[in-house]
Amino acid sequence: MRTAKINKSVLQKLVIIGILVVIVIALSLLSKQFLTAANFYNVAVQVALVIIVGCPITLLMISGNLDLSVGGTIAVTGILFAKFATWGIPLWMSALMACLIGALVGYINGVLVVHLKITSVIATLGLMYVTRGLAYIFSDGKNINAGLPTNFDRLGRMFIGPVPLALIIFIVIVAIFYFVESKTVFGKYSFAIGGNRTAAELSGIDIGRITLLLFVLVGFLAGFSGVLLGSRLGVGQPNVGVGFEFDIIVAVILGGTSLAGGKGSILGMVIGAFIVGFLANGLNLMGIASFWQSVIKGIVLVGAVVLDRLIKEKIK
Amino acid sequence: MDENILEINNISKVFPGVIALNDVSFAVKRNTIHCIVGENGAGKSTLIKILMGAYKRTSGSLFFEGKEYDPKNVKESMNMGINTIYQEINVVETLTVEQNLNLGIEENKLGVIKRIKKTDNIYKILKEIDSSIKLSDELAGLSVAQKQTVAITKVIASKTKVLILDEPTASLSEFEVSKLFEILMNLKKQGITIIYITHKLNEIFEIGDYVTTLRDGNVIETKQVKDVTSKSELINMMFGKVFTEKYIPAEIDRNIKALELLNIKNKVLKGINFELFKGEILGFYGLIGSGKTEIARVIYGLDKKEGIIKLFGKDIKSKNPLSVISKGISMIPEERRTQGLFTELSISENIVIMNTKKISRFGITSAIKERSIAKYFIKRLMIAAKSESQIVAFLSGGNQQKVVISKCLNAESTIILLDEPTRGVDVSAKEEIHKLIRGLARESGVSIIVFSSELEEILTLSDRIVLLYEGKIKKVLDNSSDIDSKSIMDIVTGGN
Repeated sequence: MRTAKINKSVLQKLVIIGILVVIVIALSLLSKQFLTAANFYNVAVQVALVIIVGCPITLLMISGNLDLSVGGTIAVTGILFAKFATWGIPLWMSALMACLIGALVGYINGVLVVHLKITSVIATLGLMYVTRGLAYIFSDGKNINAGLPTNFDRLGRMFIGPVPLALIIFIVIVAIFYFVESKTVFGKYSFAIGGNRTAAELSGIDIGRITLLLFVLVGFLAGFSGVLLGSRLGVGQPNVGVGFEFDIIVAVILGGTSLAGGKGSILGMVIGAFIVGFLANGLNLMGIASFWQSVIKGIVLVGAVVLDRLIKEKIK
Repeated sequence: MDENILEINNISKVFPGVIALNDVSFAVKRNTIHCIVGENGAGKSTLIKILMGAYKRTSGSLFFEGKEYDPKNVKESMNMGINTIYQEINVVETLTVEQNLNLGIEENKLGVIKRIKKTDNIYKILKEIDSSIKLSDELAGLSVAQKQTVAITKVIASKTKVLILDEPTASLSEFEVSKLFEILMNLKKQGITIIYITHKLNEIFEIGDYVTTLRDGNVIETKQVKDVTSKSELINMMFGKVFTEKYIPAEIDRNIKALELLNIKNKVLKGINFELFKGEILGFYGLIGSGKTEIARVIYGLDKKEGIIKLFGKDIKSKNPLSVISKGISMIPEERRTQGLFTELSISENIVIMNTKKISRFGITSAIKERSIAKYFIKRLMIAAKSESQIVAFLSGGNQQKVVISKCLNAESTIILLDEPTRGVDVSAKEEIHKLIRGLARESGVSIIVFSSELEEILTLSDRIVLLYEGKIKKVLDNSSDIDSKSIMDIVTGGN
């Protein structure tokens, strides 16, 4: 006999998969270019960054926290990655240093939340401004492309056979985080902390350590995304990733993660990211102006959440 | 003078599985202070909620000022002139006194709130009760007594005829209590009828005109206070003689001290000293505000303290539950839903959470081990559930409590603290839990402290009984069948 919990989470996935299917069908009817392998790869590469950072953010949100600083982190780490490369530091080393700087941003977020007891929205909002500002400072407000090694763009544009490397990377990261979410003590504790903080404390869970680690993971993968994006663009740009944090939060929420914490799923977030990705891609193909795209995106987000709630209440 | 302002006729309230009030009848005379006493779970708060229109009664009728009274919601009863000051005082901490007094009754001109003027009635009432409170004071900065004053002021100004106070002195100092009594006597002079709910029997003799005793949802008796001969008469009415389970004596080896507290002090506790022997069940009994929960919290590393706690002779300096648990002490907290359970998680996920080492290697968990541990406890504690993956939100109170206990047992501690282990649990689950607690001490040699506000539970379980009053240990008794519950009640209500 299946239990209530399983039914509920299956239901959640079915609703969101349904939405995804409806959007894909609608868009393929509206645009001939939409339903092609090349276009699907294209979307996958575009949503790859959202998904890569969305993985740790899903766990972070399950634990009841938020991170708004990832867009800025991507910008600053992308800039520094390019900067290091222009100094002649080997590419792999530059990439690693950029990732660690991302992790440092996450660590600062974590310390603010855990030790200085600032709510995560405020702490990471502060870091959002700081990182964005630093990206402009380190780059003098200009793109960094002079003096980059020729293989700077390899990581971001490489294919393994017919498959873009970015696609493979995101599949691997999703697999790792799915495992962390469902099969590790760390994952269990994240759910417990978000579900009932007091009970978690009384059960002897080290809330501070788990929270700090979650922020560091988010920062590290944001740094990694900064490297990937910089490499794909072939240039360090200080203005990349604006609004990126909200794209992720939209994907996570569409995927059934509660803003209050305690509930959520990595796979749901992946589907959510594809909904956002297909929608943007399809609207682009149809030649709809970006202003209208923004309006439609907003309506789809709220509409999807409302639909999800209505269906769940009906079934209850 | 002799007219009844409120008549309660044959009121019953049935919740699924529980009869909270059973055919309750009594009358409250106008312009008196009418006390209601009873143990936890006697039905006092259910009765208030029915009077206030927050609960629908199952049967019976109410008369207010001679007319049938059937409030549909709290607002309606407030408009009729019946108001309650709850234990958790209903004020907004972040607002000022003026804003609190205005809240919900704002008189405004084009949407702009009228300021309270010195000539306003409400200002006069406030000054009369406590002249030290300023309108611009923020509530968060006031003492509990002052917050109560603000709440009372607001209620009086809204033309209250009947004022209900629910355990108003639970967290007041002696001086503040006498001040509150002065206020209440004054209100009585002004013609307000007061229904006063309390645990503290001395207070009844101090201010009460009438007293109604409730026990297990029944009215035992309503009497004029001047006709009550002694406190023990009240205690008799409150408790009767109801011992369904008997204490089972045990030989305790008093050579091994499992836990020792030396001169523990904090805001509530005033120098607590005691020892817990290996395999012993120690029971702490006291009223609200006596420091029971605080002792549990101090041992568990949740509250700050002065003094020393020794575990098997060694000083433990733990400052958080994580470290206390790792040393072999675990706690079943007072409130299972807010402190004990992860209601969105499954039974098995709840049970393993305090000891994930048992189900994991290098941080990777085994679903098979998790399931088998959960199945073991479901069988051992007879948890009624479809399967171990059922989420706990849908379990009954008793079964939820069993999950909390399983979670704690799975931590395999040598000392277990149980704060209200059977609160809100039905009788049969209660007996099962008691049996389990005894088994842990007798067979597994676990040392146990039970904190309970039910005397019956303490008498059933404890090898020794510690009596608390206002943060101090008043007496430690060895349990035996001829223990006198009356003298216990006397001690915990402030007598000698």
